[in-house]
Amino acid sequence: MPDSILYWKGCMSRLRTKSISDSTMELFRRMGVEFATLGGNEGCCGSVLLRTGQLEAAKKTAESTVDRISSAGFKEVVTACPGCFRTMASEYPAIAGQVPFRVRHISQFLIERSPTIKGRFRSMDVKACYHDPCHLGRHMGVYEEPRDLIRMVPGVELVEMKDNRSKALCCSSGGGVRSAYPELSREVARTVAGGQVPAGVKLLVTACPFCNYNFKDACSGQIRVMDLPELLLAAWRG
Amino acid sequence: MGSDDWLAFKREEFKRWMEDERRRTGLSRAVAAYTSAKANALSRLPELEEIRREVRKIKERSIQQMDELVKITMDSVREVKGEAYLARDAEEAREIVSDLTGHGKLVVKSKSLTGDEVGINEALEERGNKVYETDLGEFIIQLRKEKPTHIINPSVHVPREEVAKTFSELLGRPVSQEIPALVGIARDYLREKFCNADVGITGANVVSAKTGTIFIVENEGNARFVSNAPPKHICLTGIEKIVPTLSDAFMLLQVLPPYATGVFMSAYVSMITGPSKTADIEKTIVYGAHGPKELHLVLLDNGRRRMAEDDVFREALYCIRCGGCMYECPVYRVIGGSFGNNYFGGIGLIWSAFTTGDEKVAAAVDACTKCGRCKEVCPLEIDTPRMVERLKQRLVKRGFVQPKHYEIMESILHNGNPFGEDERAGRSRG
Repeated sequence: MPDSILYWKGCMSRLRTKSISDSTMELFRRMGVEFATLGGNEGCCGSVLLRTGQLEAAKKTAESTVDRISSAGFKEVVTACPGCFRTMASEYPAIAGQVPFRVRHISQFLIERSPTIKGRFRSMDVKACYHDPCHLGRHMGVYEEPRDLIRMVPGVELVEMKDNRSKALCCSSGGGVRSAYPELSREVARTVAGGQVPAGVKLLVTACPFCNYNFKDACSGQIRVMDLPELLLAAWRG
Repeated sequence: MGSDDWLAFKREEFKRWMEDERRRTGLSRAVAAYTSAKANALSRLPELEEIRREVRKIKERSIQQMDELVKITMDSVREVKGEAYLARDAEEAREIVSDLTGHGKLVVKSKSLTGDEVGINEALEERGNKVYETDLGEFIIQLRKEKPTHIINPSVHVPREEVAKTFSELLGRPVSQEIPALVGIARDYLREKFCNADVGITGANVVSAKTGTIFIVENEGNARFVSNAPPKHICLTGIEKIVPTLSDAFMLLQVLPPYATGVFMSAYVSMITGPSKTADIEKTIVYGAHGPKELHLVLLDNGRRRMAEDDVFREALYCIRCGGCMYECPVYRVIGGSFGNNYFGGIGLIWSAFTTGDEKVAAAVDACTKCGRCKEVCPLEIDTPRMVERLKQRLVKRGFVQPKHYEIMESILHNGNPFGEDERAGRSRG
């Protein structure tokens, strides 16, 4: 077990945007990546508790998560959720003590394996835009890996949103906003997609289950929204 | 947890903003104009990168010695024959300014966030004074009996068509919807007020302690009239605005205009060191030549010292009030002036909480995504998301918890997920 990585789904793709976790796992299988999940015992990283000021509950949750992962012997954790990624990788040391495993975002993990995945994609022929998730970009400094992965898919013409990378606009599904004010959250996502996506773009690529859920909900019928692992799997040949 | 009143009124306010096409139009025009002007200015001012870092250090030093700088400033102002006061809270500030103003007076005002913070207009009007806002944006919203929605452009939500409507009501005749014509109306209307006013009230953008100099930065020229034409000038400003020296103040002045409005320098910077004076007749000093005979500087604490004492919230005092972060905030772009209380946007949540109380702003805090874009665009790189998270923790302790957030917390502790779902399947191999 300790030789395999732990694929940490995160609550959103475990229970709401399941296609993201299904796609991630299928992609791993096709790539021959040895991985395990914690299934129904995965639990919560505590991010949403931190964002909503519920510090004691966040600490408790983080401690128990560190314990579940480390007692199962995992040394490597990979997640496709930037919220989980940021929380575990950069905030756990302060709230949960020592973290005896490494946590990476899936884009960082995949880019390391680019020799094995390059050339494995069929052509997609679509003009696409990438939306930087706040937790992944501004908070963790991961900007280029998802773009490099998207560019590996032949035929995808990647163009930038008006504001991108460290200046990207938040879709406002995070930080507890969507649960407190769902209408506001949708309206911000609509405004961002409407004002930021260049003409002719047919596909919005997210790298966050929360952004993915919010954009899909707010912009249904206007633009196709796919998360990074979904796109890579859809383009995978054979 | 008690009543949810703190929440209900904000929900309503957000909804009104989201559904108000008029306000959304005004705001989006302003955002577009601001972002392109600022991008242009910053691209032509590469030297600003170094200057803004220096200003951050100046603010850090100044806040560190804030109490000392207050003393130095008050001594300096008195030395040049001005008067200086320290108001501990909003009530004290209202009393000082009201006593200095008196009853039944004509008062002209230039835009002052600190004035709004303490509710100065209401206090003066209660004593039978007639108060005119002279900044065009403030004048518009004063006539419309609305609240400001941006710290630099208070009437940013009011498009030209609505301004025309307001002005035609003021003059009792139809007026043009052309923007230059509307500006002309305000100019003509206010000119006579400036000359006849008994008291002029301004804020300040920076104060230099050593010289006791008040800096007022503006583009319209109204603050010059306000601080110069009436016989009495009262300047009300926060104690965090003080920097040690003139050189420090000049550093800050270079950063403010490009970030506030996308210009290299604002049209006018007034530097005021004491009241107007002359010694032209027999070298005898007489105060009140062409400018005011009296200058009163009212320095306001009202929560600022409490901010300074906290390692996290202290950073909010570094804010130079350029207002750029608001235009750059995806949430502010949708709910504008309802995102905050007397100050707006992410940093406005902190300022509102400390100056007017947690309860006024508790619900708006949950509209902040903590996305960090404000920090990215801030010339002083103020870590607002960190402060908002910290403020939220304080609010939770005081019982300001969104019912939905409480539910999520319970579900996470019991089910391991925020959705209230029971996941019983065991651990599975992929």
